[in-house]
Amino acid sequence: MDLNNRKKELVKEFSPMLEKFSPALKLWIGVLVVVITIGLYAFVLQVKHGHIITGMRDNVVWGLYIINFIFFVGISYSGAFISGILHFFKTPWKNSVTRIVEIITVLSIIVGPVFILLCIGRLDRLYYLFIYPRIQSPITWDIIAIITDLIGCFIYLYLTFIPDFAILRDNPDLKIPNWRKKLYRFLAINYKDTKAQRARLHKITSIMSKMIIAMAIVAYTVLAWIFSLTLQPGWNSTIFAPDFIVAGLYSGVGVILIAMFIIRKYFKLEKYIIKLHFVLGGAVLLVLSLLFGYFTFSDYFAKWFSHKMGDVGLLQSLFTKYFWQFIFANYIGILIPIIILSIKKLRTIKLITFAAIIAVAGLWLNRYLIVVPTLENPYVPIQDTRPEYIHYTATWIEWSLTFAGIATFLLLFTLIIKFVPIISMSGIIDNERELQNDKLKLTN
Amino acid sequence: MKRNLFQYPFIISFIVALCFCTNSIAQKTDASNYRMRFKFKTIKQKDNSRLLEVSFIGQNKKNRKDKVPVYNAEIEFLNILNEDKKLLGTSKTSKKGIAQLLLPKNQSYLTDENGYINLTAKFKGTNAIDEKVSEIIIKDITLELNLKEIDSVKKGIVKAYTIDRFGVKTPIEEADVIISIKGMLSNMKINEGTIKNGKFEFEFPTDIPGNANGTITVYSTIEYNEDFGNVVQEKSIKWGVFNKKIKDNSNTLWSEVAPLWMYIVLTILLLGVWANYLFTIINLLKIYREGKNLIINPEEQ
Repeated sequence: MDLNNRKKELVKEFSPMLEKFSPALKLWIGVLVVVITIGLYAFVLQVKHGHIITGMRDNVVWGLYIINFIFFVGISYSGAFISGILHFFKTPWKNSVTRIVEIITVLSIIVGPVFILLCIGRLDRLYYLFIYPRIQSPITWDIIAIITDLIGCFIYLYLTFIPDFAILRDNPDLKIPNWRKKLYRFLAINYKDTKAQRARLHKITSIMSKMIIAMAIVAYTVLAWIFSLTLQPGWNSTIFAPDFIVAGLYSGVGVILIAMFIIRKYFKLEKYIIKLHFVLGGAVLLVLSLLFGYFTFSDYFAKWFSHKMGDVGLLQSLFTKYFWQFIFANYIGILIPIIILSIKKLRTIKLITFAAIIAVAGLWLNRYLIVVPTLENPYVPIQDTRPEYIHYTATWIEWSLTFAGIATFLLLFTLIIKFVPIISMSGIIDNERELQNDKLKLTN
Repeated sequence: MKRNLFQYPFIISFIVALCFCTNSIAQKTDASNYRMRFKFKTIKQKDNSRLLEVSFIGQNKKNRKDKVPVYNAEIEFLNILNEDKKLLGTSKTSKKGIAQLLLPKNQSYLTDENGYINLTAKFKGTNAIDEKVSEIIIKDITLELNLKEIDSVKKGIVKAYTIDRFGVKTPIEEADVIISIKGMLSNMKINEGTIKNGKFEFEFPTDIPGNANGTITVYSTIEYNEDFGNVVQEKSIKWGVFNKKIKDNSNTLWSEVAPLWMYIVLTILLLGVWANYLFTIINLLKIYREGKNLIINPEEQ
């Protein structure tokens, strides 16, 4: 089989995805832009009036923003982790999911840290963090870790894109604007898919894949330390770092499964994203839900059993004020995926996706319960203060910025998959090339 | 296979009868199910008064963890010599099953020719509980505790002796002694040894904080000795080191400069990662150049 012809075939197959912007897609992008615009308006109001128009006050200084930050960054680290691991597999089925995972990884690490910027009261003093860094502070470690990880993820994503950019560059029949053709040419950096170039690219991609796994663990551990190194009730726990890693993986796998379902349905990729992908993803989600459930139980059980004064107040508020949220986050959000994924008959594409949605929603709520109730139950409460200063309720400003963040993620995802095929063409080619080589070896 | 329980009227009526059987409840509180523990001890206290104490507890024969104190039982404390019985006093057991009698320092006792005192505790018994008697035969000894600084060394000296009717002190031959200090929750043992020929010396530790004033309460105790029973003596002394300034363990992370190891670890980590980024970029440039050469010399491909 001539691989050049095969490349052309693949480009032809994926070209509708890259060339056309259907009315439905335009409407989708329009809706996302509207949501982002509302978010930008909310942001302008927040800059103008300060955090007084949010629900954050003296006691609860962190709210939805930090929850979204942890959530998105968790998805990113999880994506990096899974993407790095998938690189080691030499199976054809990985090609259908790797690109989705890689894009989710990079976009989450772009969107996540924006929320931390929204959390800063005096954005005009942001540069102080860089000119007066305290190397002893976990906040400084986190800034270093996020910036390093962001660049690492970008490089890794770019490395995996290069062969596809080259394929797209070498197909002049593609009906796309000239600027896009020029951009493909520029980004393909003269990659001609020669043996030497392939070997070199494979070598650096392989090193980067290992590195981003390690970086994901280090960076998410540092993020967990921002909480667990403080003496707040509920946070000061040794299990927090591994718990954050497992929770991140749990939500990350959930988001990947949801993305796979939507992309498969919208782009009609049933040929590439098959049931096996969902079943394998579901098996990973099952293992992670068991681990996450175990860690969560262990954490809360230790708090309940040791009965420290601060923890008693925290647990009381979790079982009264936040009862239903607690039940959803830590029972439904863990048990429903376990039930669906452990019964063979229930392992259909739709139910696996449903389990993933429940897992993601439960995990987001779990992050909420880590942040807000703890801040509402400090060791030294502020006396004679107004109830609204103690109890947190997110305002429309925070919600609109939250949805704007999600919309930005979705918009960028939509635009990227219009720019490069969502299924790695080079991955398919590599796989077919290897099969060809194996056949040749056998015949010789 | 489904079964209807009502097909078995005998079994059902037996279960119902068991449920309403009042004897099963009465059986629980019946004294005959309990083994009575009647323990008697005597403690000679620091002011040389003597405490006589009886612990009267019922222990379930089947379930040893089930213990019920015998409340309001009248205990007679006697001093017996042959046929002579001297009533020292009576006391009723508390809700915890404890009856105590405190004998003054100058209490006179009936003693045998060797100086032994027979102390007996007696419960006369009721319809439900049998008579209980327990006796202790001991010698009345005096325990002295002296704390002195000899040649800049803080020392404790314990002396133990008997005093006969003429006031002659006779050192005891041998008895084990425990030295402890008063703590917040319980006493802390700091030394133990044997009183030989009426004397035991020990070196006092120099690192005990004591209370806020630096005062330490020291106890010398002879416990459950066959010849002397329990004897306690105590002394307080200002040998504590509480007022010595305790070195603050400052948190190094709150200092202006981070610990050296942190700089080293972070530098290694960051150098490792960023060096790899550089390596990747260099390789990308090589790929770019290789591709450029192919465009110039297509035959190389």
